[in-house]
Amino acid sequence: MKKITSYCRITDQQVILNGKKLEISFSGDPGSARLTEIYRYLDAKYPKFHKMDNLSKAGFLASEIVLRSLDYDSETPDGSTSVVFANRSASLDDDKRFQETIDPDNYYPSPAVFVYTLPNIVTGEVAIRNKILGETSFFILKDFDAEKIHIFIEWAFSSPGINRVLCGWTEYLDDLCDVLVMMVEKESPEGMDFNTLNINQLY
Amino acid sequence: MEELILELKKQIIEALNLEDITPDDIDTNAPLFVEGLGLDSIDALELIVLMEKNYGIKLEDPGKSKEIFKSVATMAEYIQKHRTK
Repeated sequence: MKKITSYCRITDQQVILNGKKLEISFSGDPGSARLTEIYRYLDAKYPKFHKMDNLSKAGFLASEIVLRSLDYDSETPDGSTSVVFANRSASLDDDKRFQETIDPDNYYPSPAVFVYTLPNIVTGEVAIRNKILGETSFFILKDFDAEKIHIFIEWAFSSPGINRVLCGWTEYLDDLCDVLVMMVEKESPEGMDFNTLNINQLY
Repeated sequence: MEELILELKKQIIEALNLEDITPDDIDTNAPLFVEGLGLDSIDALELIVLMEKNYGIKLEDPGKSKEIFKSVATMAEYIQKHRTK
């Protein structure tokens, strides 16, 4: 039976790993600065983080926390893991930032902001960082929906050779962060049963 | 020239979100791409925008970009000769 072997919840107020709140002292207002505070707490040493949009930063951080908790080997290419995320606002947070750079009176569209105007970029960032070679997918839903997320993850497991799926909800808009990232494993003696009830409980 | 180099370094740090890096950390003569700061193709586009936005320089010959963006020193030299603002 498939199990949820680790999970991380990031909101504007706190970061939770497997039910335990991480002791991060937030000094700034909610939003991008807070994501940077989490990054510094993790001492991730990944300068590309600073170039990401907020959605990618949020998904990256939650993935980092989950994978570290599992001692995941991020140095060895891994074709047995997939990445499946979903959210409600797609890349709207970055789309709005990009729109600001195409002001007709100050027309300097930013290439670095533009490249994040697709929500699935976050799955690519996580895959690149961790050398994950399995399929990556991103779905946009009306609201958090454990049943649909469960279906997406089951679908990811149907690909040959996939034993693990790093998955969840990565929502970020207007400085509001709402993230749940889980690792679901095909065959694990430990962890919570992978079902909609537990996904809802973790959220 | 020294003033322009310092100004340029600050602008590069801001435009490319190079957190944790100060102007002193950037070697004026070191390669900007691959080695040195390790910039990528998107960063190159940001530098083109930076040149136009801050100095009124439009790079119309892409073939020249490689030489211009070789280092902060080569960028500053080009800016000094071609700036319109």
